[in-house]
Amino acid sequence: MNGRRELWFAWWTTVVFYQLFGVVFFVLTRTQPPPDPGWDASRVAQWFHDHHFGLLVGFGIMFLITGMTAPQNALIAYSMRRMSVSRAFGYSYLVLYSLSAIPGMLLMCIVLTVGAMRPDRDPELTSWLYDFAFLSFVGTMGVFLIGSLVWMLAILIDKNGVFPKWFGYLNLCNALTEVVVSPAWIFKHGVLAWNGLIAWWIDMVVFGIYTGVFLMQLRKMIQREDFGDGPLPDSAPDQESVPSTMASSAS
Amino acid sequence: MRRTNGELILFWTLPAAAIIWISAFFLFPGFIPPMSPTMSANQVAEFYRDPQNLPRIRYSMILFNWFCVCLIPILMLIVMQMRRMALRTPILAYCMLACAAGGPVIFLLADLFWLLAAFRPERAPELTQMFNDLAWVTFTVQVPYLIMQSLLIALAIYWDRQPHKVFKPWVAYFNLAIAAALAPAAFTGLALHGVMAWDGLLPFWVKNIAIGLWIIVMGLVLGQAIRHQRAEEPV
Repeated sequence: MNGRRELWFAWWTTVVFYQLFGVVFFVLTRTQPPPDPGWDASRVAQWFHDHHFGLLVGFGIMFLITGMTAPQNALIAYSMRRMSVSRAFGYSYLVLYSLSAIPGMLLMCIVLTVGAMRPDRDPELTSWLYDFAFLSFVGTMGVFLIGSLVWMLAILIDKNGVFPKWFGYLNLCNALTEVVVSPAWIFKHGVLAWNGLIAWWIDMVVFGIYTGVFLMQLRKMIQREDFGDGPLPDSAPDQESVPSTMASSAS
Repeated sequence: MRRTNGELILFWTLPAAAIIWISAFFLFPGFIPPMSPTMSANQVAEFYRDPQNLPRIRYSMILFNWFCVCLIPILMLIVMQMRRMALRTPILAYCMLACAAGGPVIFLLADLFWLLAAFRPERAPELTQMFNDLAWVTFTVQVPYLIMQSLLIALAIYWDRQPHKVFKPWVAYFNLAIAAALAPAAFTGLALHGVMAWDGLLPFWVKNIAIGLWIIVMGLVLGQAIRHQRAEEPV
């Protein structure tokens, strides 16, 4: 029994998910960076017209692969299970982040699909779908805010050294982006609008750095994992399980 | 006499829920035959305004609203069986928990959109059509967590290397086939006509029959696994 491969399965699924997420949102659907919240209804209808196939193909891919977020949430919950903290932390994170995907991402994919699939709809209604989609995507904040704070708190009070303490504070930065984005519910123009310098660009840079760092930190955790419940060893206990399975599969 | 741990009670809610789901499915006048995405706004509004249809739309969707989450206790019983497998970590069980939180909620959203459309059928036809579109698209694309669940069960069975496996290997292949059958529904937005439209062969018939088949087959193998477990571990 090689427990590490179960963890690597979750890690690689997460890595592949973010690659596909990037391609769908930045390349295929062009929903990131987001279009302008200040557009009138006819300009919005034009945007749907211009991105018709990209939206439908891209979000089709999302409907196929959104389940890949489950292993990511499971792995992060597992990291808290490995800490000296109560199991309640990992379970809280698992529930928060599992339900977050629906208002925070899938709803946008569904609503923009509905918008794109009927180009002859009244532009006023299409414009309402556009607002619904982008505001649900950027404006679903609490689940990510509280989820990041739960992970931060677990890291900071953990005695097993699963993650360095500075990574705990990086979770705080991610949590703060969810506070900074809140004016997007009010402003249609400028730096605080959903496509603005503060509400989108700074938040996206922080989220990008955060995601890259937590992938690396989870990778290190899996390498160091000894499947005990005391402090996590500093270096990988390589001799234990990895070579034996590799040898048996090679023979 | 052995103590009850309640698992059998949860398990026997499945046939009861299945009967309610099937009744609600046939009660909703928009499923047999499925409404076409090519219907005009006026035709959609007529469908909701028809006094023959309106009570059936509301009652069927209220039934689904009550009982669509009945799958969650059954998924938890599958999680309990995964914990008996020869797995080193609870990662796959956590993944199943994460999927269980997502899947039924998407169906619940579709249900809300249908009920909203039916609440004020005298509304402008374009609005009724938009709610109807939201309901049908949400209902049709609700596959991501169902696909992941099937793949997770298949992977768990593959990794369950012990003399008496919790689920037999064919269950893994069955789950892979179900995942493949659910996949095309994700792309229903691309077509208003033909096999890929939301009333078409793949997104409607194949997907919904696959979900029904998955519930029946997994119900049977789950019942068998729980029976074996109770025989092996007398309390």
